[in-house]
Amino acid sequence: MHKTLDARGLACPAPVLMTKEAVEKDGLNTVEVIVDNQAAKENVSRFLGFQQYSVSTTEEENDYKIFARRQGDTVETIAKPENTLQPPISGQKQKIMVLVATDRLGVGDDELGKNLIISFIKTIREMGDELWRLVLVNNGVKLTIDGSPVVEDLIAYENDGLTILVCGTCLTHFGLLEAKQVGETTNMLDIVTAMQLADKVINI
Amino acid sequence: MLNRILADIDPLPDSRVLVGFDKADDAGVYLLDKKTALIQTVDFFTPIIDDPYDFGRISAANALSDIYAMGGVPKTAMNIVAYPMQKLGKDILRAVLSGGIEKLKEAETVLIGGHSIEDDEFKYGLSVTGFVHPQHLYTNKGFRPGDSLILTKPLGTGIINTAIKGGLASPETILKVTDLMAELNKNASEVMKSYPVTACTDITGFGLLGHLAEMVLGTDICVTIESQSVPVLPEALEFAAMGFVPAGAHRNRSFRQEMVKLAPDISPIMRDVLFDPQTSGGLLLGCPAKHAVELKKHLIAKGAQHTAIIGKVDGQGKDIINIV
Repeated sequence: MHKTLDARGLACPAPVLMTKEAVEKDGLNTVEVIVDNQAAKENVSRFLGFQQYSVSTTEEENDYKIFARRQGDTVETIAKPENTLQPPISGQKQKIMVLVATDRLGVGDDELGKNLIISFIKTIREMGDELWRLVLVNNGVKLTIDGSPVVEDLIAYENDGLTILVCGTCLTHFGLLEAKQVGETTNMLDIVTAMQLADKVINI
Repeated sequence: MLNRILADIDPLPDSRVLVGFDKADDAGVYLLDKKTALIQTVDFFTPIIDDPYDFGRISAANALSDIYAMGGVPKTAMNIVAYPMQKLGKDILRAVLSGGIEKLKEAETVLIGGHSIEDDEFKYGLSVTGFVHPQHLYTNKGFRPGDSLILTKPLGTGIINTAIKGGLASPETILKVTDLMAELNKNASEVMKSYPVTACTDITGFGLLGHLAEMVLGTDICVTIESQSVPVLPEALEFAAMGFVPAGAHRNRSFRQEMVKLAPDISPIMRDVLFDPQTSGGLLLGCPAKHAVELKKHLIAKGAQHTAIIGKVDGQGKDIINIV
């Protein structure tokens, strides 16, 4: 779905709020936002980038046009004659989000739990391309820090293109903001948005 | 903008005016006798958060701050209220004024009156009067080469308030930023009086770099800010990355960008935080480097827990702020 939003004449944060509402409500694949000042251009571009859209801007007279396409989405099939001849995309992959809220797997023996989480993180690659987001919250953020037994694995996953999101509030709570070695620091809105967009959410 | 409007206005000259409206300082100062100068200030704004009691606390802390920034002691205050009584009713106003009173009591400042009008848009603030010994008056001019720069509160309240408007901030974040904005600069002001502080201001609407620019302008010095050392609310970095930067931050930047030299590795997000307009921000002060660490520790011990040494004053260069 595509939408064009006219945010001219609005001061920040109104353009970004308008964009946020449209993106969240309609789950847009592509969106174009027209603004008339540099500040709104920067804010809207940042917001869309943060929401995993690829963003390009053009300047026309006194206006800026921000065009954004959701990353990873297939190009919307607009009914052009030549497109109808192409074979349909078969077996669409599902998007799996894994939410890890602990640094030990299961309840019972902590020693065992710590070993199990190491094994879990190392084995999770078996999900292949369908693993779409790995989100670490609460004690889970401790897996991303210097000295964690799985930090090398997580770095390798990230290099392979997996998006790893790490809860900023949690890092701050534990005083680990500086110690984090891998993943993007994120916030609850982004985590909730990821949950909404995922086809399957697995809680650990 | 106000500068241009006021350019033609010519107030009565008076040799007792120590700081007048031409100085763009925090408050006006008038000499009463050899030992006493009067400080007067006024500040009011529209609600920035939903809770009326907290809005009262924040607005009072913000109004009192100008007196503290000059090294003064606030003594009396008057309420300024513009209020849509029909729309909002009595209870909200009562809560706002009670919040204000709480802060005035903490500041040992007495409320001696006020003025209210009916208005479609709610505004609340105070006019505060205080005293200072003329020889211990701090203004925003006076930095000297070799000074260290100290900031007593973290930056980011403008960005977070923008995110609150967008419904993005968590209740914990709202609580944290509310308490920070309601925190008086009283203790910080008292502490700095026992150190050789060269200049001081409080960080408000112009943001850190906007206020620093006023302190540097026309003084033939240049300052260097170490961005890594500047205390910042982590949530502000998150929200700035998501595009919740208030229009004021962009205005502050376009107004002062020719004075500010950013190192290439400073992210646009950090740059926006440095220009973020603050509500009831901390004190920014200079003192000779050899006293800075002790002063910083003393400020932290007296409750300004986020205090940090954020940069230094260099001799060379004219009116330049380097961000590294």
